[in-house]
This record gives sequence, structure tokens and C-alpha cells, in this order.
Amino acid sequence: MATGFLTDTTVCIGCKACEVACKQWNQLPADGYELTGDSYDNTGHLSGTTWRHVAFIENPKKRRLTGDVDLVALAEDVTEPLPGGAELDALGRWAFMSDVCKHCVEAPCQQACPTGSIIRNEFDNVYIQPDVCNGCGYCVPACPYGVITQVPHDGRAFKCTLCYDRQIDGLEPACAKACPTNSIQFGDVEDLKVVAEERVRELHDKGYTQAYVWGTPEVGGTGGINGNHSKFVLMDEPEAYNLPKHPYLPQEKVKGGVIAGAVAAGVLGAVVALAFRD
Amino acid sequence: MSEATRESVQQSNGKVETSHHPQTDPKRNDKHYYGIPPIKHAHWTWQIPVYFWIGGIGAGTQLFSTVAQLLGHEDAALKRASRYTVLVTMILSPILLIWDLGRPERFYNMMRILKLRSPMSTQSWSLLTFGNLGGLLAARQAAEDGLLGRNALSRLLLRLIPERLLSVLALPFGLFVGFNTGNLISATSVPLWARNWALMAPTFLASGTSTALSWLSLVLHLTRSGEAKTLRALHRAEKATIVIEAGLIAVSLVRMSRWGKPLFSKSVAPLFVGGALVAGIVAPFALLFSGRETRGKNILSSLLVLAGGLAFRFSLIKAGRISADDPEAYFTFASGESAPQPEDKV
Repeated sequence: MATGFLTDTTVCIGCKACEVACKQWNQLPADGYELTGDSYDNTGHLSGTTWRHVAFIENPKKRRLTGDVDLVALAEDVTEPLPGGAELDALGRWAFMSDVCKHCVEAPCQQACPTGSIIRNEFDNVYIQPDVCNGCGYCVPACPYGVITQVPHDGRAFKCTLCYDRQIDGLEPACAKACPTNSIQFGDVEDLKVVAEERVRELHDKGYTQAYVWGTPEVGGTGGINGNHSKFVLMDEPEAYNLPKHPYLPQEKVKGGVIAGAVAAGVLGAVVALAFRD
Repeated sequence: MSEATRESVQQSNGKVETSHHPQTDPKRNDKHYYGIPPIKHAHWTWQIPVYFWIGGIGAGTQLFSTVAQLLGHEDAALKRASRYTVLVTMILSPILLIWDLGRPERFYNMMRILKLRSPMSTQSWSLLTFGNLGGLLAARQAAEDGLLGRNALSRLLLRLIPERLLSVLALPFGLFVGFNTGNLISATSVPLWARNWALMAPTFLASGTSTALSWLSLVLHLTRSGEAKTLRALHRAEKATIVIEAGLIAVSLVRMSRWGKPLFSKSVAPLFVGGALVAGIVAPFALLFSGRETRGKNILSSLLVLAGGLAFRFSLIKAGRISADDPEAYFTFASGESAPQPEDKV
């Protein structure tokens, strides 16, 4: 059985409980008390010590609120035009997104890893064996989502384990457990796929036609990655969430590169041989 | 946009007074997330580009000396210089690579598995093979030169190490070390590197060969050794590889198109344009192709090619970091057809 996450950003309230739960359960060190000055997101990005990261997307270009806005109606998904030309669409206007390792079906980090430290475990999750990793750091530029990162002082690379230890004990990952709005759902990838499609259909019916699933072989898990086990329901272009639309598996081109190199070797050998002719 | 909003937008000529966000920042591009890089750059410090340079010299040296040997051109000075060069490069390379590891004491984990799709894995294995074969050849050379004394060990080494066979065996591994460094950087998510996947390996090998030829020519000139025929072949090959390298870099730049911009950015341009292109290619080209060949000119051009090769590798690594840190570059690259596709042909 392959397990994964479905992160429904449309119900995320940005409470960061997932970030905290993840840090606590996995005993991850603090990243320092730095203020980005951009938003309430002072974490910024995923890293070797931050395996869940809540992005705060403020998108004033798209949605405008005028007049007296009924925040209760806003929270209750009212989309009819309101007095004063107010349009209630909190989803596009203020968006939160709890980012996590995508657990790619064909994982670039796993293919890049020269020690075989990065494996697929019995839950079909991409898992780093910390006792094997020698900190070469080659997985870091391979990841198309900027997830995996070397931890300074430790030297090794770390990322979300999808709470391997909890799964072994039959528990769901800490972030999914802590999420108060069920924005983070954990389960069988096939089940989550259905849930995601249903949710997008529901949103479309409510008038949010921009909703879509990110992490499929068509969007997000593209270019040979064959989709992600961590899927997201998004309401804006992927780039707004700092996600690529059409990433690719870097190792697809290794064979081609080796052939090109071999051809070059042949040509250079011939050139050197010719140089010896009288 | 709802009907109500559309009307209010039209009424106020595209601008809407809002209570919540008084103004929208016109400079803001919502296709980014506060400009935070969507991918992480490689941590590689100076050891990696220096290794690329040294490994390339080892590979090119093996190429030249083996071809000379296969063509029946036995030059003792060339053989000696080549064998010891390969030995030194193959001692320094693993030191630099292990130095760069986050957990250097676990370097041997590279040897627990062979992964053909991981250039880092194939690089480790080819380095191991090439290094050991090169080491055996250098040991034989040392025995031949009497560096190990005239004892039973020397005689044993001379008898047991099949020189020709090992040289031929080492050649493919050496060449692989030389060009695979290109695949090592192109098999990543960094736009500037990945975009040039087809030409990165040939460019690295051509550059490695030209630095190796320059190194051999420098050594032979400085020690005033080497047969005239060797030096003539070296200079001819040097000229040819410089032209090939220049051509490959030019085509690579075309191929990189907009994603190659970091190479011309303020912090990399002095290294890339000044070091790799002008000092490493244009200047030695002018020296080698103009007028009569003199010893001084050859030494100078060799030094320039060697410096240029080092600058080339540093500039590529530095430009790759800028490219990875630029959300615009990555998002435009990973938005559609520009990124390498599985169905792409070689």
C-alpha cells in the first residue's frame, strides 16, 4: 500500500499546528527567530529542519473587498454578490498552504543518492536512512521542489519521513493528526486521489472553477516524476505557492548525457590520434 | 471575478478602493513567493570545481598517453609525465571529494551500491577504478625509474603489471571521469545546468583534454624533455581541442539561451568571460596560431589554458548557484517545454 498526504489548501487556516507538531514529534531544532518581513510566514521555506512549512499567500491583485464585509459569511463560503459590491472569496485572497515533501513516484533525490541512503520504504514513501547518508549533498540540487536540504553542523540531508515511525505503529503522521481543519489528510494514495477529485468537483460546483489538484502526472508531478504521493488542492497558479508547474526528473537525461560524452570521447581520441600523423 | 466586482472595476476605471488592502504593489509579481528560491542550490564549495579541473587533467592525460602508446609512439618522458600526473590527480580527487562531504568519515558508503542513473555514483566507481589502474601504472613507472630501489619488489612490479593492457583498460574509465562531471551537474533541477544536458559532458571533456594537453606540454617544456614528435603532436592536438572547446562552449551558450544569463552576471562575468573565454581560449588561441612557435609562447599558452579551465569550472558552479536561487529562472524553466522532457531524443 502506498501512503501519502492530501493537503487541501482551501481549508487551511494558517495555524501552523502542523509545523509545530512535526518539529515536536521529530525533535527538529529551531531555525532561529528570524522575521521575514513579508508576512506572518517567518519560516520561509522547507529545509532539513523544517519538514512542514505553511506558506502565507496574500494575493491582493485578484480579490477585492469593498464595504462592510461579513466575515462570518466569508468563512461560510457565501459566494453571492453582497451589498456594496463586496465579493467574498477568501480562498483566493488569503491563501495558506502547508508544504511538505512531495514523495515523488519517481523521486529525483532517490535516483541521485550515490549511497543508496534514500530508499522507498514499505509504505512506498521516500525515506532517508540517516545511518547511511554521508552528506554528499547531491540530492539537494536534484530535488525539483527544494525540499531536501543538508543540515549544517550535522552534515547529512534530511526531509519529511512521512512519520515512518508513527506509521509502523499504525498512527497517522504528526502533522495530519494535529491539523484542526483536516486540511492535511493522510491515507492510501488511491483513496486520497478520489477525495481530491471529489473536493475539486465540489469547489467547482460552488463556483471556484480555479481549483485543481497539483501533484499529478499532468501538473506538478510531471516530466518523468509520474506524480506525487503528496497531493495538493490549489486555487492559484502553482508558482504563487512556490511550486513549479512542470518539473522534470533530472536523471531522465543521464543516459543521453553519457552517450554524448562517449561520442565526444571518440572524437577527441581521433583528434589526438590524427595529431600524431606526419 | 463576480458580476458585482466586474461592474465596480469598470466604473472606477480599473481601480477599486478597498478597505482591506489599500493599494496593490505594482512591482509585485505574484508568480513568486516573496522571491524565495523554489529549489535549493548545491552547497558545493571550492573543492568541487577544483576536483572537476584536476579530474579533467587526469582524464585528458590518460587519453593522450594511451593514444600515443597505441600508435606505437614510445616516448619515455611523455610516459613518465603522464603516469605520475594521473597518479597525483587520482590521489587529490578523492581527497577533495571526501573533504566536501558532510560526513567525510562515511565516504566508503559510496561503495555500497552502484546506481547507473546517479552520476555521483558512477563517478565514484569510475574514480575508484581509474585511480587504482592509474596507481598500478604509476607503481610500475616508479619501479622502472628506480624510485623503489633495485630490489625484488621492483622486479616483481615490472613483471606483474601488464603496462599496455592496464593503459587500455584505464582509458574508458578515465574518459568517463572526464565527461561525467558534466552530467553530474546537468542531472539536477538547476536551469542553467540542466538546460545544457546534451553538451555539458562533451564540453567538460574537451576542456579537460585541453587542460591536460597544456599540462603535459608545460611539464615537457619546463623539464626540456620529450621527443620532438611528441611536442609537435601535443601542439597540434592543443590547437584542435581549443577550437573544439570554443565551439562547444558557444553552442552551449546558445542552448542555455536566457537561462545562461548568470554566466554574464556581475559576480561571474569576470571569471567566465575574463578567465574562461579570454584567458583560457582567445589568448592561447592567438598565441598558438600566430607566428613561429617558441618555447616561451608555448609555456605561456599552457599556463593560460590551465587557468582558463579552472576559471571555467568555477564560473559554471557559481552561475549554477545564481540560477538555482532565481525563482524567475526556475519557474520559466519548469513551466513547459524548456525543461528536458522524457520523450526528448539525445
